[in-house]
Amino acid sequence: MFRGIPVSEGIGIGKAYVISGKKPEYEKRNVKNTTAEKERFRMAVKTFCEERENMAAKLEAEGSLAQADILRGHIMMIQDPFMTSQIEDQIDTGICAEQACEEELGIYREMFLSVGDEITEQRAADVDDICCGVIGILTGCSAGSVADIPPGSVIVVEELTPSMTAEMNKANVVGIVAEKGGMTSHSAIIARSLGIPAVLSVPGAMSEFVNQLNVIVDGNDGIVFPDPCEDTLNDYRAQKKFLDEEREGLKAYENRPTETADGIKHELCCNVGNLNDATDAAESGGDGIGLFRTEFLFMSRDSMPDEELQFETYKKAAELFKDKEPGNIIIRTLDIGGDKAVPYLEMKEEDNPFLGFRAIRYCLENTELFKTQLRAILRASAFGNIKIMVPLVTEVTEMVKVRQLVDNIKTDLDEEKIDYDKNIQVGAMIETPSASLIADLLAKECDFFSIGTNDLTQYTMAADRGNSKVTYLNNYLEPSVIRSIKHIIECAKCADIPVGMCGEAAADPLMIPLLIAFGLDEFSVSPKAVLKTRYNISRWSVADAKDIAEHVLTLSTAGEIQRYLRRTVYNK
Amino acid sequence: MVSKNVKIVNSEGFHMRPVSAFVKEMSQFTSDVKIEAGDKVVNGKSVMNLMAAGIRCGAEINVVCTGDDEEAALNAAIAMIESGFGEK
Repeated sequence: MFRGIPVSEGIGIGKAYVISGKKPEYEKRNVKNTTAEKERFRMAVKTFCEERENMAAKLEAEGSLAQADILRGHIMMIQDPFMTSQIEDQIDTGICAEQACEEELGIYREMFLSVGDEITEQRAADVDDICCGVIGILTGCSAGSVADIPPGSVIVVEELTPSMTAEMNKANVVGIVAEKGGMTSHSAIIARSLGIPAVLSVPGAMSEFVNQLNVIVDGNDGIVFPDPCEDTLNDYRAQKKFLDEEREGLKAYENRPTETADGIKHELCCNVGNLNDATDAAESGGDGIGLFRTEFLFMSRDSMPDEELQFETYKKAAELFKDKEPGNIIIRTLDIGGDKAVPYLEMKEEDNPFLGFRAIRYCLENTELFKTQLRAILRASAFGNIKIMVPLVTEVTEMVKVRQLVDNIKTDLDEEKIDYDKNIQVGAMIETPSASLIADLLAKECDFFSIGTNDLTQYTMAADRGNSKVTYLNNYLEPSVIRSIKHIIECAKCADIPVGMCGEAAADPLMIPLLIAFGLDEFSVSPKAVLKTRYNISRWSVADAKDIAEHVLTLSTAGEIQRYLRRTVYNK
Repeated sequence: MVSKNVKIVNSEGFHMRPVSAFVKEMSQFTSDVKIEAGDKVVNGKSVMNLMAAGIRCGAEINVVCTGDDEEAALNAAIAMIESGFGEK
């Protein structure tokens, strides 16, 4: 089993087709007639540009605009007069055109790689692609052929290039595995635009996979199985069938209430980071916003957003949902620190930022900044059903202090005769083990809870989200995390306050029956997961969900729980 | 020789699309165009060198034009950069 970065979701089951990414070979020659050699180079560039333009036109006709753009970029790059004159200068020293290209483009490749930002690094892959293309034309033999890929192939490649995708018959490709590339690489963009499951950054894939080997590509979890056993194959076939049915059945879930098979209604909201997301959320049919991450409002600029700007943003978000009932808009106050830095706030570097001075801890020390935000939220609450959510709560005192600040601002607003929602709800994001353990106490100071599963998992498991060595522990299907979630929901029920979930887990088909069984009120998911989540909620009656949850609570490892849930959920 | 300081405002910075547009525009002028960014001096008509300079959003750069149509070239360059290369 290989792990990599999942960049395009879905399950692909097929046979490996390995594309060797080797550069076309050529013999280094000394050239006497440099004028003729330069002419040979110019002709090759001309042919290259014609070929790329044809590919781009073909891709454009197929609707792959982004890839067509990339190929036209290659034309711009190879036609750079500054670079071509450098290549011709090289030829003048008596080396052949192939070598001159390879050396000169190699210099640019290194320059791009050394810039240190991901987008420029991607250009190094373009340089390689151009280099292969031009040398292929010069030598008359092209790199790994992709024109005759057999049906049902899983492409295994060092890096998928736009020129490869232009040539290959995409209908025959069921999965993509690449040794290189991340979320924003060409391979990823191409795979997503074609809707082909893909896992990238799988080291050693080129040497471990041979043609015709059975392969499963799990583009959801970033796992690749070479030569899987019959059991694994059956599990994945069931999951693939489930995902196909889910995709085909989704249309039927537009404009419908979100309810279980036995008619228990749930609120289905969206997680958003800006007004564009909020618009997507409204269009996707979400009931409201379950998590408005306000830090992006602060991070995408070089000075503090003032009260007016914040007010306008929150107000506009609320107005997007004014026709919904209740149209809740949960605004999370500034959650910075940890992995989210804001340059102009000059936060000190810490040894342990995830356990450090961040989120509500920072805001309660920097009350001017915090009061500005709370005031903007309160003012916006006159225009919709806005709620305030406090991130990273660990003790009751924090909630008491926030409530005190909110009350003070309310008094100010009253004096200034500015409108706001007098009954605005203030709740806590439950994402630390401490908050979970004292959920019963916190409930007395909170109007609602929202469970943040990403941080709750990382803190409960004491496993850094960003450390690939401990990724295996970062799993919300761990018994401890599931128990914690169950406890939080029970405490909310006991105190009669609503409880939602705004982490990734809320949209996971495997978690949904458990959340229904525990009694979660609101699911908050990304806008594109709204229909899918509504569909998955509709599949379960509360009684069936409770049977599943009861069994899950008897299991002692995440592995067992995952296996049990996969069999039960995907084979239903 | 004429020159002017300008700040990169488009979110992508000097990447593929903006660079292509910029070079296309600058190639219409006969003047030499140089971009000074930090300690780097880059040919403003070279797609490859502009991209390799890794000039990001927020960077302050100096555009230097030298030649018969230097004024027009500089005005065109500044207008383009300030408009964010028409990025949407």
